[in-house]
Amino acid sequence: MKFTIKRNSFLNSLGDVQRAISGKTTIPILTGVKIVASEEGLTLTGSDSDISIESFITTGDDNADLTIERAGAIVLPARFFSEIVKKLPEDTMDIEVGMNFQTTIKSGSASYNLNGLDANSYPHLPVIDTQESFTLPTKLLKQVISQTVIAVSTHETRPILTGINMVISEGKLFAVATDSHRLSQRVVPLAMDMIDGDKTYNVVIPGKSLVELSRTIDEDVDSVEMMITENQVLFKTENMLFYSRLLEGHYPDTSRLIPDSASTEITFQAGTLLAAIDRASLLSHEGKNNVVKVAITPERVEISGNTPEVGNVKEDIAYVAVSGEPLEISFNPDYMKDALRTFAGAEIKVKFTTAVRPFIIVPTEDDQTFVQLITPVRTY
Amino acid sequence: MTKGVVQFVEPTRDTSRKIIHIDMDAFFASVEERDHPEYIGKPLIIARHPKETAGRGVVTTANYEARKYGVHSAMSAQKAYELCPNGIFVPGNMQKYRDISSEIHQIFREYTDLIEPRSLDEAYLDVTDNKKGITSATVVAKMIQKDIYETLHLTSSAGVSYNKFIAKLASDFQKPRGITVIPPEDALAFLQALPIEKFHGIGKKTAEKMQSFAIYTGADLYQYNEMDMIQKFGKMGYSFYRKVRGIDNSPVQPQIERKSIGREHTYGKFLTTEEQVQQELRQLANAVAASLKKHQQHGRTVVIKVRYADYHTVTKRKSLAVYLKNEADILFYADELWSEVQGLEKEIRLLGITVTNLDPLSFENIQLPLEYR
Repeated sequence: MKFTIKRNSFLNSLGDVQRAISGKTTIPILTGVKIVASEEGLTLTGSDSDISIESFITTGDDNADLTIERAGAIVLPARFFSEIVKKLPEDTMDIEVGMNFQTTIKSGSASYNLNGLDANSYPHLPVIDTQESFTLPTKLLKQVISQTVIAVSTHETRPILTGINMVISEGKLFAVATDSHRLSQRVVPLAMDMIDGDKTYNVVIPGKSLVELSRTIDEDVDSVEMMITENQVLFKTENMLFYSRLLEGHYPDTSRLIPDSASTEITFQAGTLLAAIDRASLLSHEGKNNVVKVAITPERVEISGNTPEVGNVKEDIAYVAVSGEPLEISFNPDYMKDALRTFAGAEIKVKFTTAVRPFIIVPTEDDQTFVQLITPVRTY
Repeated sequence: MTKGVVQFVEPTRDTSRKIIHIDMDAFFASVEERDHPEYIGKPLIIARHPKETAGRGVVTTANYEARKYGVHSAMSAQKAYELCPNGIFVPGNMQKYRDISSEIHQIFREYTDLIEPRSLDEAYLDVTDNKKGITSATVVAKMIQKDIYETLHLTSSAGVSYNKFIAKLASDFQKPRGITVIPPEDALAFLQALPIEKFHGIGKKTAEKMQSFAIYTGADLYQYNEMDMIQKFGKMGYSFYRKVRGIDNSPVQPQIERKSIGREHTYGKFLTTEEQVQQELRQLANAVAASLKKHQQHGRTVVIKVRYADYHTVTKRKSLAVYLKNEADILFYADELWSEVQGLEKEIRLLGITVTNLDPLSFENIQLPLEYR
């Protein structure tokens, strides 16, 4: 194998596949990045067995200025290799694999010899044999992920809750996550490329995979194609394949958890409420009970927190409108902050029923496709 | 004290409180003597006989007869046996001692609710405003000692003063069946006369370090200025600069929180299979969950303890961001820790699960009713 390439372009691809490579893996070959050179171009692969990322650089890519002199394949230790590539002196670099997987990396007058591994011993990526796919605008996909991933559970007691439940049905994608104390749900329309409109999919994708996916896909890529098989999901862009395993098991039914009526309703600017909650949580974080209380009357909305260890706080929150019954309700301010950040400063409605029932937050302009739900804290 | 550009105000003492420290005399041993009069007058050691445990085990308590031979608590049972071969070794019955301790607390509560238990046999009481309206703390202390003796036939020693530190030193001053009263006007003289190693909180190492600075008594300690004390002994220096001046403003904290709730079990027949371990872990998790519920607590750290046939002991802990209280959650993390122990290569004699980092269950985040299929 031998090729010449622009260093920046190579580093971009290398950085992407490295997101899948963990230094902690118990399988030594997975600490490496696989590089395959063919007539069409270069393919880089990284994997931790939960997710695998493949990135392509074609010979026609102007930014890469890629010249393949000899096809071939090698696995190089990802951490060293990327540090080396980052620090090479010139804009271009040459890579050549010699005897016994000895790999020479040259740039200007600098030259490294790295011990590589046989690419034949690298595990095979799954073959996705479905022709059915859906297409999502990149921005929308990233938004769906960031709006729901906050409610993913970080505890392994219920492994299924560490994923986002994605249901594709009737031309729509429903994304739901819950850790049993809060729930996030977003519904978006789907372009069903090559699929029978009646077919439904119901999968649970690890939250961690989706966070990495979101970080890996460039903003300037227009859309992402999504394909689902029995135990994996593939996200595909022009230059990248992102595979993730699916979580096994049935996601709990969340369809009846979102209350459809409210007895108290307040309209806020999300940013105003977020700042007030943030101030109140300064003290609650110091105490044992991370709780704040909101008291709602027709005249005012007051947030307060009492942390005997340090002190207390009180603030009247500026709101747009309030209606319904007076209410006092306590909740974890961190859940509220996470939820409010997903509205990007828009105007929101917070809808309560009672002090011991979940409450929801929805955008004022559209309360059908996006909802954040939070369960209150009962105090004794 | 002056440090840099600032000058600190000299601390002053608060002598307005009336504090009693009650310490049961050789508690476990006295209980056994009470229930087995045949032990009276003989050296009694609360520990399993070293011959039964192949020389392992430690002394929890020794009666005053046994102490004459130099036997004391925390000593290895083997050493105790060497010092006092004719001693009677009795394994302790913790449940019995716990029950008696709570009866003693009931007596305390007739006088005050400001009770801070330090262990099963020791507690501080703030009787400044007591339920019987008695102005003399000395009278209260004597009445409590009498009540304990008449109800439970056990003797105790009492220390009476205006803070916890001096009350504790006082109760230790005359034992057993003693009462020592240190009024504010006598406190400084009492502290100055005290050998340094008698100060509660000064361990063997600190005492040696103090002696290397020619500090042998409270009077020697008193000579040191605050800055020197802090430089030589850190936070302890700060604290003892005050204590030797009779200053200890720490309140009697009634609901001193339980630090942990746990269960452990020693198996007469050692565990050898994964199934047995799983079954025992489930039972322990169940018992711990029940105890958490009873005490209205939840905690954030799970600890498991595994002791092998050869007494090699492993403990593993995991701390979480959220509170636990249910059997299923406790078992989940206990099992996860057990898989880290990886140990059925040797037979297991003891398993334990403890939940620590406890807090009172004063609030509870409501859970969504998720149904798992």
